[in-house]
Amino acid sequence: MKRGQHRKDSVDNWQSQSDEQVFEELRNGNPEAYRVLIERHHDDLLRFLTRMLHDQAAADDIFQETFLQIHISSATFDTSRRFRPWLFTIAANKARDYLRKKNRRKTVDLSAPIRQSESGASFIDLLEVDVPPPSEAMDVSERDEMVQQALSQLGPALREVLLLAYFQRLSYAQIAEDLGIPLGTVKSRMHSAVAAFARSWQVVSKNQDTKEL
Amino acid sequence: MHSPDQSRDEENPILSNPSLSAQDTEAIDRLFDADPSSFIPESDRDHAALNLLGLLSTPVVGERNRPTRIDLIAILAARLESTGVSAQLSPQDQRALDQYIATGYEVGSVEASLRDRAQRCEDLGNVLIGSSSTTGSQSTDLIERTLSRIQSQIDQELSALDINSARKGSFSMRWSDLVSIAAMILLFASVAMPIMSGMRSSSQKNLCFDNMFASANAFGLYAGSNRDMLPMATAGFGPTWMDVGSSPERSNSSNLFTLIRTNLANLDDLACPSNPFAVTGQADPDAWDWRSLKEISYSYRIMPPGGMLATSVAQPVRVVLLSDRSPVVLRVANRTPIIPEENSPNHQGKGQHMLMLDGASIWSSTPVIHNNDNIWLPRPIEQVIHQVRSKLGIIKGSELPDGPTDAFVGP
Repeated sequence: MKRGQHRKDSVDNWQSQSDEQVFEELRNGNPEAYRVLIERHHDDLLRFLTRMLHDQAAADDIFQETFLQIHISSATFDTSRRFRPWLFTIAANKARDYLRKKNRRKTVDLSAPIRQSESGASFIDLLEVDVPPPSEAMDVSERDEMVQQALSQLGPALREVLLLAYFQRLSYAQIAEDLGIPLGTVKSRMHSAVAAFARSWQVVSKNQDTKEL
Repeated sequence: MHSPDQSRDEENPILSNPSLSAQDTEAIDRLFDADPSSFIPESDRDHAALNLLGLLSTPVVGERNRPTRIDLIAILAARLESTGVSAQLSPQDQRALDQYIATGYEVGSVEASLRDRAQRCEDLGNVLIGSSSTTGSQSTDLIERTLSRIQSQIDQELSALDINSARKGSFSMRWSDLVSIAAMILLFASVAMPIMSGMRSSSQKNLCFDNMFASANAFGLYAGSNRDMLPMATAGFGPTWMDVGSSPERSNSSNLFTLIRTNLANLDDLACPSNPFAVTGQADPDAWDWRSLKEISYSYRIMPPGGMLATSVAQPVRVVLLSDRSPVVLRVANRTPIIPEENSPNHQGKGQHMLMLDGASIWSSTPVIHNNDNIWLPRPIEQVIHQVRSKLGIIKGSELPDGPTDAFVGP
């Protein structure tokens, strides 16, 4: 058999396997399995981390650390469970630790007034909010920048729950289990996060429109 | 009989009934129970609670309890900071989002009256997870770097295995050779074991001393980054601070584990070599505590509710911050009677290392330090023991059994 043919068969073979099956291969010592899993989840995981950390270099580092952790903890993973949520949970934990460390040196200015919410908890009605779909004409990097800007208005806890929900399509109960927080807290954080992101996105979009005019 | 003032107070609902409504109480409880870094005001009541408590930052004439007020301001500021944008979905949008998520993110499965709103939720999600601007070459580079890191890790693991297998080796020999070697080993052991034992004990003591030094650094770094507070994982304990490995974490050991969780120390720094159950190596990134009491090598000062400032005790009073593990706690956990002056089991009962709040590390052959303070016990229990011993001290040696049924033996 020609070498190229062998490679194609191998790729086809991997493609037909689920993440969990590939992971089992990884545990059996097949080094190619690492590459398959990393390539499969590269785009989503890196985007998730970049959104969460607002820092491409940090996202790259945490991406590598996440897969290193996958290798270190591979013996403990229960393959009857899904791989992707495990991967994202490890990534979220590492990202949270990174943010915690980064913020550790932040000092609180005691003379500064405590920031008050402008009008308590103002309600957003999504039907009244213009949520423009990403323009096809818009440059990908430009849109990325706008999403980052909109996300930067959210606190880390809201950002985390919003990203976990949308990237992994998890139920409230699954998010609560992954983050180790009560179901009610997940629900209320998700409500706040969607509202906050809707408002921020609208502001960012309007600013963009103004610039284009 | 009520005074006129009392009657007036009783008529005023605020003065006569100062308790909060159930919802407000819940909001205040939520505020104080929450993790400062992640508290999210969820309702108008939460905002009201934050605003109300914010008033406490107003300076008070003659105020004495300044550290408490400063802490409160910092906590409030940090919590408000972490909140980010303040906005809430309308009740209908909340229902639409809940249904959208409950139906597996399928807009079509949401009830018709809420479908438009669910569609908005999906649009927002699409914006959020839209394609990345990362280029192909950047992706390939990152994938290769990640694979390279994993490969280095695998190489390290393999080289460790090689060393172990090389140590094992394999060769054949006759039974007579084996007997000769066994005899030599026995002879060597009888001579060398006492010396080796002494050397090992001394080496373990030195390692423990190094651990105290590493811990002192970690405590210093933690306090420097946390407004002089000592490591604290929880606001309060559960039924007992001995509840090691409980979830949510509520043992005193989880307070010490904060140093590991925040990467200021590692498991090795807090593992005494003479504790056979001590865990070393890389900590589970999600761990908040050791898994059981027997894994713990060092005892940390019991933290009062609200924590303790590293600067709270004026010198020259020396406060013990960390020591070799407490034998008293081990005995209590094993339900055996305590021996107050017993030394830590870490060093064959010969004494214990103590790390002081001022950063000094000492070796003491007794757990009783200055002012007759026993480091294993709180003062009230020490006083009770002292009283009992004082009474026992009245036996002169001339007493007799109270009768034939009174068991009482002498020398």
